[in-house]
Amino acid sequence: MKNIMTVTWYTLKEAMARKVFIFYSIISILVIVFTAVILGVTNLDSIVNGFAGKNAAPMMADIVSKLEIAIIAPLASLGLLLAIFASSSFIPIMLEKGNIDLLLSKPVSRTQLLWGKYLGGILVVFINIALLIIGVWLSISIKFSIWTYPFLWSILIITFTFAVLYALIVLFGVLTKGSMLGMMFAYLIFLILSPLLKFAHGDMQTFITSGFWKGVIDTLYYIIPKTSELMSNTIGKLANGGGIENYEPIWTSFLFLAAMMGLSNYIFNKKDF
Amino acid sequence: MNSIQTNGLTKVYSSAFGKKKVQALVDLHLGVPSGTIFGLLGPNGAGKTTLVKLLLGITFPTFGDATVLGERTANYKVKKRIGYLPENHKYPPYLTGGEVMNFFGKLSGLDGEYLNKKTDELLGLMNLSKWKKTKVKNYSKGMMQRLGLAQAMINDPELIFLDEPTDGVDPIGRKEIRDILIDLKKQSKTIFLNSHLLSEVELITDRVGILNKGKLITEGTVQELTEKKEEYFLRIEDDSKPFPEKIENITATKLDDGRYSLKVANTEDLNKMIDQLRADGIMIYELIKHKNTLEEMFISLIEESEKEGKQ
Repeated sequence: MKNIMTVTWYTLKEAMARKVFIFYSIISILVIVFTAVILGVTNLDSIVNGFAGKNAAPMMADIVSKLEIAIIAPLASLGLLLAIFASSSFIPIMLEKGNIDLLLSKPVSRTQLLWGKYLGGILVVFINIALLIIGVWLSISIKFSIWTYPFLWSILIITFTFAVLYALIVLFGVLTKGSMLGMMFAYLIFLILSPLLKFAHGDMQTFITSGFWKGVIDTLYYIIPKTSELMSNTIGKLANGGGIENYEPIWTSFLFLAAMMGLSNYIFNKKDF
Repeated sequence: MNSIQTNGLTKVYSSAFGKKKVQALVDLHLGVPSGTIFGLLGPNGAGKTTLVKLLLGITFPTFGDATVLGERTANYKVKKRIGYLPENHKYPPYLTGGEVMNFFGKLSGLDGEYLNKKTDELLGLMNLSKWKKTKVKNYSKGMMQRLGLAQAMINDPELIFLDEPTDGVDPIGRKEIRDILIDLKKQSKTIFLNSHLLSEVELITDRVGILNKGKLITEGTVQELTEKKEEYFLRIEDDSKPFPEKIENITATKLDDGRYSLKVANTEDLNKMIDQLRADGIMIYELIKHKNTLEEMFISLIEESEKEGKQ
């Protein structure tokens, strides 16, 4: 465990040495400050009180949740895109000649090394997302005195979404010692496959008559991680103050993560360097 | 007791689909006694680095097995007692020299005050104390090499593998590194040295192995390997009687410097020759065994091995 923590800590340092994470942290801080200032100068609650009268409280709660989603959703997505880009080279750099030799010459198992790197990548995203969400949530909650605590769970959901995609990046990193393929597949899933499969499996299903294609879509839907559902549906529910109603996107994505990391670990333990 | 023991160690690298195979190491049986400096020599691609990687569990053997410090190479915990300086090592450029030592010290199981003390001590030994807080991306090649050696010693290892340790180091730095290695040997550490610098290997190693195309051609002490069997140089008094034209079982050739080069079948014939010369009243000034430099021996062995390979 100590070895994993050491590698994790130094991966965090590696991430901090990269401008992209600092850039994202600066954006997050700017958004938090901007939100606080804008909310400070507007008198939204009195407008709502005057407009909605007795229904002001539920309307206000609705506005708060929508505001939280409106600010967080695009920034979290941007954060994930940047995080995929910035973290895709963690494993390839570790596997570079002269670097991996040194690491493997120390009394550290290969499994510990791989998990240390993996957790380091996740930790840096967790810190960035937590900074953004807690900052925005505090600004809004203090202003309106409406505290949607469940919304804070979205820190974990977004970090988990990244962890699933990062597991795929780790696998390709171990296989190819490069960052390109992993990054491409992660973007493919996050931007195209997952939203497309969500649509095909849901709204489009009634229009698909062929049993074969239905089977293909269903299979792909369950295999490919459901980043789209995780990011939109789950976080939406949390912002509304509700709990997570459908755990299927979480556990099927977790199975994908486990499969990717299991495979990465197996290959890494067998590989010559 | 041997710190390193290999038994039929073989490594075959295969291409992606197994079409092309390269034998990097072939049936290697080697023992390195504890407390000695062992030098492994060989041309580029001979399999030297592959051997070190196999011994450290960085690469896995195709056949055979090996032990280091009495443990199987698959047991990663034995590396607590091992240090390694790879060739062309890379350190995270965003870390300072002190942080590099701290990182590898922690991975070696060290921590706290002891690690800090050890870091300062080793950086001091390598003349890097004032660079402790400088990022390694600003280090010169020689400084990187000295930092590499310091990190290889962070866990006070019993066995140290060094791959081209003086690469990029200036002559004074080389001398300092040599002195450190000799000092480590005095502390009963075992040092396994891969180097192209034969003159350097000759100066500090107890035993030498020569590897070519994955095969161990020869192994022994520098003395054993450089001595030319049954070849001697003889110097006699200038105004003494002339050297006999013919001596039984001895081929003598006069050299430009006045000495004679002698080829004898065995020591008994040599002694007979000495008796004969003395009986003839010839004054012998010196008789020394012909010795090659390590470089001459190395080149000759590699050439022989290449010829055998072609046949």
